[in-house]
Amino acid sequence: MLWWKKKDQGEALSADAYFWALKDVSFEIKRGDVVGIIGKNGAGKSTLLKIISRVVLPTSGIVRGNGRVASLLEVGTGFHPELTGRENIYLNGNILGLNKREIGSRFDEIVAFSEIGAFLDTPVKRYSSGMYVRLAFSIAIHMDPDILILDEVLSVGDVDFQKKCLRKIGEITKTTEQTIIFVSHNVQSVRTLCNQALYLEKGKLIAHGDTESVVSKYLLREHVYVPAQRYEAAGIAPGNDIIRIREVELLAEGRNVDGAISADDELSLVFSFWNISEVSLHVMASIVLVDFIGECVFSVHSECIRMQRGLARGECIIPSGFLRDGSYVVHLFFARNDHETLFEFRQCVSFEIKSQHRVPAFISKWQSPISPAFPIILTQPD
Amino acid sequence: MKWDWQVSKSQPWFRIGFRELLNYKDLILRFSRRDLIASYQQTLIGPFWLILQPVLTTVTYVIIFSNVVKISTNGVPPLLFYLPGIITWNYFSECLSSTMNTFQYNGHIFGKVYFPRLVVPISQVITSSFRMLIQFSIFVIIYASYQAYNGPLHLNYGIVWLPVAWFLAAGFALSLGLMISVATAKYRDLDSVMQFVLRLLMFAVPVIYSSTIVPAALRPYFWLNPLTPAIELVRFGFFGTPEVALSSTLIAVGIVALLCIAGVIIFKRNEVRVMDTL
Repeated sequence: MLWWKKKDQGEALSADAYFWALKDVSFEIKRGDVVGIIGKNGAGKSTLLKIISRVVLPTSGIVRGNGRVASLLEVGTGFHPELTGRENIYLNGNILGLNKREIGSRFDEIVAFSEIGAFLDTPVKRYSSGMYVRLAFSIAIHMDPDILILDEVLSVGDVDFQKKCLRKIGEITKTTEQTIIFVSHNVQSVRTLCNQALYLEKGKLIAHGDTESVVSKYLLREHVYVPAQRYEAAGIAPGNDIIRIREVELLAEGRNVDGAISADDELSLVFSFWNISEVSLHVMASIVLVDFIGECVFSVHSECIRMQRGLARGECIIPSGFLRDGSYVVHLFFARNDHETLFEFRQCVSFEIKSQHRVPAFISKWQSPISPAFPIILTQPD
Repeated sequence: MKWDWQVSKSQPWFRIGFRELLNYKDLILRFSRRDLIASYQQTLIGPFWLILQPVLTTVTYVIIFSNVVKISTNGVPPLLFYLPGIITWNYFSECLSSTMNTFQYNGHIFGKVYFPRLVVPISQVITSSFRMLIQFSIFVIIYASYQAYNGPLHLNYGIVWLPVAWFLAAGFALSLGLMISVATAKYRDLDSVMQFVLRLLMFAVPVIYSSTIVPAALRPYFWLNPLTPAIELVRFGFFGTPEVALSSTLIAVGIVALLCIAGVIIFKRNEVRVMDTL
């Protein structure tokens, strides 16, 4: 109410009463770039997307751009529950900036992709939540704007549909000049899709550049642990013309890792990779474990094996009790003929060890990341 | 380098963006279609309510104001006298109440997608116009059957002014709605205040009476209200009474045009900014 305004103003608006959701964030995105925005909750990721989408105005600063923007800050914006799927495709498409003709030409594709088939003429309020999301997402993904803005929308829907969407986005990035900006908590999807990343922390731009270096900076600073990476097809997997990584996974006592690992667990690092070249390789794998400051803890390597085109698997076991408490990052390297580096998959897995055991206080300043089970035997002569 | 678009705090003073609005004409029509379809889903009598509502109101008015209170209708059959007034008044009031909550009712969409916000109030006016035209055609049918059975009703050249009458009602409502919507975005109780004001305002407009019974001293002010010529122009076209001065019509058109420009500017100035206060 106006009534209260005077009272409110009485309480001084000191400078620190403001909260800057974003401050001093400057960057440039070029045509065709696929940019992932990463950062913790409250880092300002969504605010940034909202400003780029022209939904909120910045207090200061300017965003300039060329081309048509379609922003998908939410799936199914403006869906009307009483209207049929067909009507909602047109409604949502119009809201996102397509005209009737443009929607018409994409209509069949949208319906096919959403897999709603027979329910096209049913009011969407009768849809299951999965169907609803599939329909909404299909519309958005067939928009073909110059700049596509996606906010965490990939996290909805069932896993299979998410994969389908990621594949579709992957296709878009390969076949068109579309610029995509997207926010995700899933570091793996940022790695898979993006060639660039922006890292925000508390409204500030911490890093901007190629995905790998930004993502690893993020993982280091925020202590985000990635216990596994998996890629369905060689086409989207990290690697080069010769080898591609299919999966890297850390298991504790044979189970998937969720949260901190006990120091008493036996760790096994399992990985598999494709040889996609036509020739057979003399390949060896090497694992380097570093702590979060980047100091090397240890490195081990495999024997050289002869590998034909196809899939190979590797496993390394770290005995229980070997690593002390702390955060660790794994680099996985592949070499050919003993010396020639084939591919470096840095920061592929990270994890945290936490245990109840306490190191005796008097040697804690000499604490090392590893505690090999070399027994010290104390005896006292009689 | 030339840029297609720019987002910044300062926006140009006068930028209505007609071209942009034109690009979104499909969305305008789509919103109207949505509102029309959605409002008749799962209803008992559906679109018939559209016809029933003004007819029932008219019958009530005929009983109360014509038979009990005995307000003059200038010799026009009461049923026909009240109906166009009620339809035009409803048109105005529906346009106003649907546009004055633009931000409150569409905040969830505005917070997620950019499109010219004017799309929404314009589509609301189109929706209301569609409903009004249906109601009006019912009036025309009743009028025609009356003429056939009970003799001439003085239909005259005045009906060419019908579009002007509708422009006055819709334009006045839209301009007020645009300005008020900026305020209702912040002060939510303004909505109920406006509903109340609307109910009282009806008595300041010649819906249940003819402008001829207004005291001469008040008449100049009475005719300044664009709704007065809006309703009386319709009655004049169909009944040949009361006379509407050309000057009052032109003044009303001028007022509405100015209000529309002001409304659009105020709306455009605030369309993104109010999102922070929602």
